[in-house]
Amino acid sequence: MFKEFAKWLKTLKNEGVDHISVEERRAFLKMGLVITGVYAGGSLLSVVSRVKEVYADIPDYVGHYPYKPHYTMVLRVDRCIDCERCMEACRKTNHVPPYGWRTRILEQHLPKGDHQWERRFMPILCNHCNEPPCVRACPTKATFKDKVTGIVRVNIKKCIGCKACVAACPYDMRYFNEEKRAIDKCDFCWESRLSKGIFPTACAQACPAGVRIFGDLSDPQSRVYQMVHDPQRALWVLRPETGARPNVFYTIH
Amino acid sequence: MKKGLLLIVIFLTLGLLLHTLPSVGQESEEEAEYPTYPIIFTKPLKAVLFEHKVHVEEAGLSCEDCHEDIFPMEAGATQENKDFNMQALYNGKYCGACHDGETAFASNTRCATCHIGVMGWKRLTGKEKGEKEE
Amino acid sequence: MVTAVQLKRGKLILLFLVSLCLLGVGVIMGIRSFLVGHGEAYGVSREIPWGILISTYVFWAGLSCGLSVTSAVGHLLHNRPLGAIGARSVFLAIATIFAGFLAIGLELENPWRLPIWVALSPNLRSNIWWMGTLYTVYVILLLLEFTLMTLGKHKASARTGLLAGLSDIAAFSNLGAVFALLAAHPFWYGTYIPTFFIPSALMNGAAAIIFFTWLAYRLSEREMEPEVVQGLQVAGKIYGFTIAICIFFLGWKIAASIAGKPYGSWEAIMALLKGPLAFNFWVFEVCLGLVIPLLVIIGVRARDINAMAYVGGLSLIAAFVMRYDQVVAGQLVPHYAHMHIYGLPQYYHYAPSLCEWLIVIGSLGLFGALFAWGEMAFKGHPPVHH
Repeated sequence: MFKEFAKWLKTLKNEGVDHISVEERRAFLKMGLVITGVYAGGSLLSVVSRVKEVYADIPDYVGHYPYKPHYTMVLRVDRCIDCERCMEACRKTNHVPPYGWRTRILEQHLPKGDHQWERRFMPILCNHCNEPPCVRACPTKATFKDKVTGIVRVNIKKCIGCKACVAACPYDMRYFNEEKRAIDKCDFCWESRLSKGIFPTACAQACPAGVRIFGDLSDPQSRVYQMVHDPQRALWVLRPETGARPNVFYTIH
Repeated sequence: MKKGLLLIVIFLTLGLLLHTLPSVGQESEEEAEYPTYPIIFTKPLKAVLFEHKVHVEEAGLSCEDCHEDIFPMEAGATQENKDFNMQALYNGKYCGACHDGETAFASNTRCATCHIGVMGWKRLTGKEKGEKEE
Repeated sequence: MVTAVQLKRGKLILLFLVSLCLLGVGVIMGIRSFLVGHGEAYGVSREIPWGILISTYVFWAGLSCGLSVTSAVGHLLHNRPLGAIGARSVFLAIATIFAGFLAIGLELENPWRLPIWVALSPNLRSNIWWMGTLYTVYVILLLLEFTLMTLGKHKASARTGLLAGLSDIAAFSNLGAVFALLAAHPFWYGTYIPTFFIPSALMNGAAAIIFFTWLAYRLSEREMEPEVVQGLQVAGKIYGFTIAICIFFLGWKIAASIAGKPYGSWEAIMALLKGPLAFNFWVFEVCLGLVIPLLVIIGVRARDINAMAYVGGLSLIAAFVMRYDQVVAGQLVPHYAHMHIYGLPQYYHYAPSLCEWLIVIGSLGLFGALFAWGEMAFKGHPPVHH
């Protein structure tokens, strides 16, 4: 009897998944399933398990937003071409001296077998962590997490220059600025732009390839919210094992 | 006396070097029938690398496939065109003539295959030490 | 009752003057570094922000901890032999901590902001804040202890000394936690450094009291009193015992950094075992710092002061290298290792600049000057009978 049923099933044609709504797909995703086919006028669905892929790389702390706006950057790394316009814009906007940097590009050579590799550029900047190790290490609260925006900032007059925050940062994001006589770092352009109502950051503005998406992770309308809350998107953060809970997310496409 | 000898030695060494170096280049040029040096576009942004070798030997293209309908013979001349950008490629111009997703991988994918960035440009033009780039 | 002592000052004065010159050079270089900027004057970078000045500070702080705790243990156990060398221990604890403060003071970019903002804007989650606060308490207690001791108020002095020892165990292990609570550097992260700091401080402190007591008697050309000899023999036993403990600690640290090839820690331990720090590690840390002193102490059964003073003195150099390796090794592994980054070095590079070395020597000068002055001013820290 089941043989007959199996035969009948095999004769069915996949009608495509195009007219299945996003909500429906999400509902299945929450069960750890991905719809791969629709049969018999939508009365039958074929699904595969995607528990691991779906939930594996969204960091566990996503979904909880202690700040409003909760500033975040999503980096679509496969689009980066290392034109370094972000770096130039950052330097100009924030008066970064030649011996320092607030953001830069790393070049990855990703292995693709047979001693071949594929190039990928990876922009890095301050991750504005939820548990910033630098803020914990600073003896004078010279570096602090802004209570409203979550931006990790520096109050230069309190900086004693012990460089504990430099040593504490898992991401190499801090340097001592001789002119300011204090540690300098990316502040998501808070002082140069955001606090004056200019949006977004200089680097995001300058990027010709749409790599840097800047926005408010607590706002469901924002692009960063939609990208981070997409279980089907490959999404990762850097050095999660340090427990810093970074707010800069990496993705492709 | 000693000075004279030194001059002769320098002259001979230079002569040897100048004699051997270009002849090597000429030979490979004749064999390959295409420029072996990398073509680097730096406009509108740094930098895109084009290798004749890959396109002739791996993709099997002949000179006429691109020259001079799509690109002029003069190396790097195209970058002076105002519309030499990604949008033009998506519209099937320049590299986009082949890099359309069917003939070759689409222009809006695998960006860093051709875009070598400022870092790659510095490496190739010797503005920075370390020439491990393949 | 204080026994009258006959001490010759010639060599002490010479040591004092030479030390003052070294101190002068160090301070001048320190001031210069503020003027030209630490980025220019020092070998440190954003990748390796903590260099030899930090490790020098840790070295001196470790000696101070060992010296003050040894003397506090003497008080606690009412140990008479240790009491005989107690005055010099406490004085040297003061001298070493000030030498350390000189190194860290010239390492900080804006030391003048420290007292203001540590008080006005304290971060109670910061180990550096606790370290600074506890060291302030410690230095006050130490000075008080020594003053009471010279005034002959031995009971009060002993109680203060006990508190000083306790505060320094807190302060020095906090200094360890400055490194050990940074998850960014897996080789540092964990309980190892703050705990290991205490036996290693005792080890260095014991070596220091043996060496400098011996040196003091040598320089002033006099015979060691029998109770001082006894005191140094007890210190020798402490020295041998703490070396054994340190070998035990180090062995497990190496094992834990190799087993399972943990990311970050493995690369750092390899830097020590066969990488850029291998010479430092095997020659200084292991041979000069641990194996040779332990063998010699066992060989002479902690009785021969001369032999113990020689290895003790040498092991102080090893202790300096050990602190340096500990500070540098944790920072050597690049932040973005294991991510297929092209052009990333296997290890970051750090080499102390000449300016940094001269400041290190300057801190040695401060210590030397204080040591020589102390021997003269306090008449060779004679053993007290009470």
